[in-house]
Amino acid sequence: MNQNSYLSSFRAWFTAPMLLSFLVFGTMPLWIDAVGLYQYLGLEVMIWVIFALAVNLLLGYTGLPSFGHGAFLGIGAYAFGLTQFNVAANLWLSLFGAVAVTAILGGLVALLISHRRGIYFALMTIACAQIFYFIASKWTDVTGGEDGLLNIARLPVDLGLTEISIRSNFSLYYLCFAAYVIIVVGLWRLVHSPFGKVISAIKQNDSRVAFLGYNVWLYKWLIFTLSCAITGLAGALFAMAQEGAYINIMSLQWSGIAILIVLIGGGFISFWGPVLGVIFYFLARDILGAYTETWLLWFGLIFVGMVMFKPEGLAGMWRDGRTLLGRKPAPQPEPSVTEPSAAGGD
Amino acid sequence: MADFLLTLLPHLLNGIALGLLFALLSLGFMLIIGVMEVINLAHGSLFALGAYFAVMLMSQDGGITHPFMAPYFDLPIVLRYIVALIVAPAFVAVVGMGLEVCLRRTYGKDPLYGLLLTFGAALVLEEMIREIWGPAEYFLPIPKAISGGFFFGDMIYSNYRIFAAVFAMAMIGLLWAFLNRTPYGAVIKAGAHDSEMVRVLGYNLSRLRLYVFAFGAALAAIAGIIMAPIWGVRPHVGVDAVIPAFVVIVLGGVGSFWGAVSAGLLVGMVVALTAAYLTEWSLLSMYLLLLVVVTFRSRGFAGKASALEA
Repeated sequence: MNQNSYLSSFRAWFTAPMLLSFLVFGTMPLWIDAVGLYQYLGLEVMIWVIFALAVNLLLGYTGLPSFGHGAFLGIGAYAFGLTQFNVAANLWLSLFGAVAVTAILGGLVALLISHRRGIYFALMTIACAQIFYFIASKWTDVTGGEDGLLNIARLPVDLGLTEISIRSNFSLYYLCFAAYVIIVVGLWRLVHSPFGKVISAIKQNDSRVAFLGYNVWLYKWLIFTLSCAITGLAGALFAMAQEGAYINIMSLQWSGIAILIVLIGGGFISFWGPVLGVIFYFLARDILGAYTETWLLWFGLIFVGMVMFKPEGLAGMWRDGRTLLGRKPAPQPEPSVTEPSAAGGD
Repeated sequence: MADFLLTLLPHLLNGIALGLLFALLSLGFMLIIGVMEVINLAHGSLFALGAYFAVMLMSQDGGITHPFMAPYFDLPIVLRYIVALIVAPAFVAVVGMGLEVCLRRTYGKDPLYGLLLTFGAALVLEEMIREIWGPAEYFLPIPKAISGGFFFGDMIYSNYRIFAAVFAMAMIGLLWAFLNRTPYGAVIKAGAHDSEMVRVLGYNLSRLRLYVFAFGAALAAIAGIIMAPIWGVRPHVGVDAVIPAFVVIVLGGVGSFWGAVSAGLLVGMVVALTAAYLTEWSLLSMYLLLLVVVTFRSRGFAGKASALEA
């Protein structure tokens, strides 16, 4: 193999924005205090980025609006705590427990909803998420009900030869960062694989994909389950960050905010939309929140304005900015993702 | 058995009152889906806003403490109640018009954008309510004539539930007459059937959409005012209201007036009966119902293909 082919295979796995994000997030704990923010914020951003990427896999890439993903974040958190308490206090096992339980429940929900799209899909996800919410709030013996599941430990990272403690926010951050790197590279490969082409095609026109002989139902089922599994991982990390699992993240409002974040960032047109959206959301929360208690009101107004005037979100503004400056527009991952799919096709 | 039926009666009455109010709420929701092809997720917030405006017009707890308004609050409560029933929906209609103007940019695009925009609007309205009236729960004072209760057999019946049921029934009747017996109703129905054709025939479609949205919002507000003494007035009440509206529409089918009314009654009955016998789980029953309905009968009793399916 010559130099060039190494380079091109490197480019297939890693891109400039991806490396930039690794650089920024990889060094974040070192400078976040210096810019007037705090370590825990970095942790929250990292976890929500993973969550938002999972949501956007459905919303932006497959065109399936899940208004109930917060429930799976909560299920991941509870499953992490319960595995830790009842099975073994081992980090890898507990993470596996969280991902497996969320994937199984997500898979069951997907069985019910994978033949749906659009509004009915959104309705079904709302109904399922609310059912999980009520079960979690009433099944006090297992979930602790309204009090939540308390005292979830930040288990040490067992690497065989050595153990690293992640008690501090700083070290837990790097565990989350490692998860981010794996998930970003994995998702990037996934959406640019033949599988990824099929799901973008489903977003555009699912009947036509079905005519071509693809099993649309199965693709939707797989992508929903995968998205839930990633959300479960984010939930497990969130349980460690909060040192507990609480019911509030399972509420309809949080699921909605996840959609808001993805859209404001520009999930419809860019892989990086959710990342921008999460950073924007947490900065808005801390900066607007310092001035006014009703920052969510202002954030909601920004969101409404964004849907009206710039549904492509922050990523769309970035693209327009580049075009204005006369540089060539950033290479789009898919021409198909640039336009919202035309309503229906049958 | 006869005893059981007697104890069941008050719950059935509750179910009917609740169901008719759900039907009223959903009919406004359905008009908006019909003409605008938008799923108005903010419909529950408009419902809540109606209740809050009514509280404001009924008692000084609602926030109007200016001495200029003091004589108004000395008026008999029946009069103020009538004023609240007319003025509060009018205010909400204006808010609805504002929302419709914002929505114009999403017409003709993926229906997801309308859904997202109204979701954002619901968030904004709920936060605004929290900001203006605070998170505490309010109670809407009602005239003596419709409060209290009476005994029938061994069970106590609430006068207000009977008033609510009768009032909602009257409103539904008026709405039916308006839609089916007036030229305005004919234009609205035509707009729901094919809005482009209505435009071609020379009607101002933008204005029609504006008025229909305002009308739907006012219906939500009326349902909110009548529901207020039953549910209480909290910022979160909007979310509790938009879900039954969804269930009713999905169950009854988009575009069917009597489908919505019968589905409203069914949903009200299910909620009231679970609330009576399984209090803890009463809200869950609604979501289970939604799930079952969408799984097995997504066009409902009498639905046609609609914006919901895009």
